[in-house]
Amino acid sequence: MKTLKRYVRLYKVFVKQFFKFLVQSKADFLIGLMGFFFTQAAGIAFLYLVFQQIPSLGDWTLDQLIFIYGFAQIPRGIDHLFTDNIWLVAWRLVVNGKFDRYMLRPMNLFFQVICEKLQPDALGELLVGIILLAVSLSKGIVIVDGMHIVFFCISMIAGAIIYTAIKLLFASLAFWMKVSGPVLYTAYQMADFAKYPTEIYKKGVRFIITWIIPFAFVAYLPASYFLRPQVSPWETIGIECILAVVFFTIAYLVFQKGTHVYESAGN
Amino acid sequence: MKNKLKIYLPFMENEFKRNLAYKGSFYLFILCSLFGSFIAYYLWMAIYGSAETSILGGLTRNEMVLYVFMTYVTSNMVMVGIADEISDNVTEGSVAMMLIKPIDYRMSLLFKAFGNVMYRFFAPGIFVWIGLEIYKAQVLKMGVTPVFNIVCYIISCCFSVLIHLLFDFCFGMVAFVTTYMFGMMMAKEALLGFLSGQLIPISFFPQVVQQVFEFLPFSSMIYTPVMVYLGKYTGSSLALVLAKQLLWIVILYGLGTILWKRITKRLVVLGG
Repeated sequence: MKTLKRYVRLYKVFVKQFFKFLVQSKADFLIGLMGFFFTQAAGIAFLYLVFQQIPSLGDWTLDQLIFIYGFAQIPRGIDHLFTDNIWLVAWRLVVNGKFDRYMLRPMNLFFQVICEKLQPDALGELLVGIILLAVSLSKGIVIVDGMHIVFFCISMIAGAIIYTAIKLLFASLAFWMKVSGPVLYTAYQMADFAKYPTEIYKKGVRFIITWIIPFAFVAYLPASYFLRPQVSPWETIGIECILAVVFFTIAYLVFQKGTHVYESAGN
Repeated sequence: MKNKLKIYLPFMENEFKRNLAYKGSFYLFILCSLFGSFIAYYLWMAIYGSAETSILGGLTRNEMVLYVFMTYVTSNMVMVGIADEISDNVTEGSVAMMLIKPIDYRMSLLFKAFGNVMYRFFAPGIFVWIGLEIYKAQVLKMGVTPVFNIVCYIISCCFSVLIHLLFDFCFGMVAFVTTYMFGMMMAKEALLGFLSGQLIPISFFPQVVQQVFEFLPFSSMIYTPVMVYLGKYTGSSLALVLAKQLLWIVILYGLGTILWKRITKRLVVLGG
């Protein structure tokens, strides 16, 4: 309990520090927000243009696809906001020996890595996600009741944890490879597959994004629970939670193991 | 002219060699960008599967397969950027050194980029392209692309490379004004992907929007060469799109010169 209190206090200190930095560079913040916003907007515009030509994609309408797209953005945004510093482990911190400074402090290493930085650009992703969900809600295609709201919150958190776990797992490879940025980037890009219904892919691809790098469980599968009454929450969001726990545990163990083999590059 | 080449060719050579040195990470990036093409491929197949007509946006299903992968081959070469290097030079202050040296900054950047373009043409551009041709002849039964189309495509592609590089130089001037290029680059990439036809063929846009695009340089970057390759332009319309590309090269070159002159006048470098 005492340690938990200490970490909460520490996190507050870090966040405060970060806000000072943010106030200093307001223009940068807006530019970053705009960058993410445009990227997402292009994806939506693409869907919109395609649906000018076709009535529906398989069994899915444009409105439903937009809901899935928006639904996918929120866990991504949450993870992005809080754990963006993991990218730096993959690209820089290990290879140039800057990871040393974490090793020297009497604090949990993973905690230090994630609290080093908040990524405000991620608010662009969250903003797009929330707007799209709001539009979907106003169209009345989403099932809303007590159960669904609870499962929605659970799914968002579990989804964000899956994102974090995959990032942490591939970033930890840096302890052996020195730079694991490209590998992490490749794995992260797989998330793009999951923005659309996985039925459109061949079996092999579907298997990979469902079970190996389980992005389908972050976006499409849980989202379908809110669109189709016959989908069971246990088979979608239930499995999502199990995967979140399993993947995070694996990732954390690899990270721990990695910190033991870490050798400083010397300064 | 010959003297000039002698000065700038080594930039190109070095960049090509540098690429050869860092192969590992480069191949992963290639894999990644191919992922994108496969997503697009599956998505389009599903879209054609649910369409009521066999032609969407003026393209048949098979043409769309070619469009998706030729877009990959083309954008892989064309989208070599120089703005990130400008931004690095500005933030580190090394741009001051560039101003001192008796070489043209833009020329040196262009030639470096040419080295990258060449490398990307060989790895993986040409291999994906050959694979696609085989697929086209064997599976799609469309026959191999005529030599005339290929030649026109290569010419158009060279123009595209220049258009994008000159545009990117102008865009890179933003680095002198803002310090946060990462966000700007993301915004640029999103816009370019959308407006150049990388994400979706321009013919899918509403008529009005297409007319607006006629007056922008972006569709000349990806859409034009790929459509040339598909043989969608013949005779005078082919000459027209190529002429338009040339015009954009001239305009963007001029714009870059003006911007560079104005910006270096008020440039302040601290340290470096």
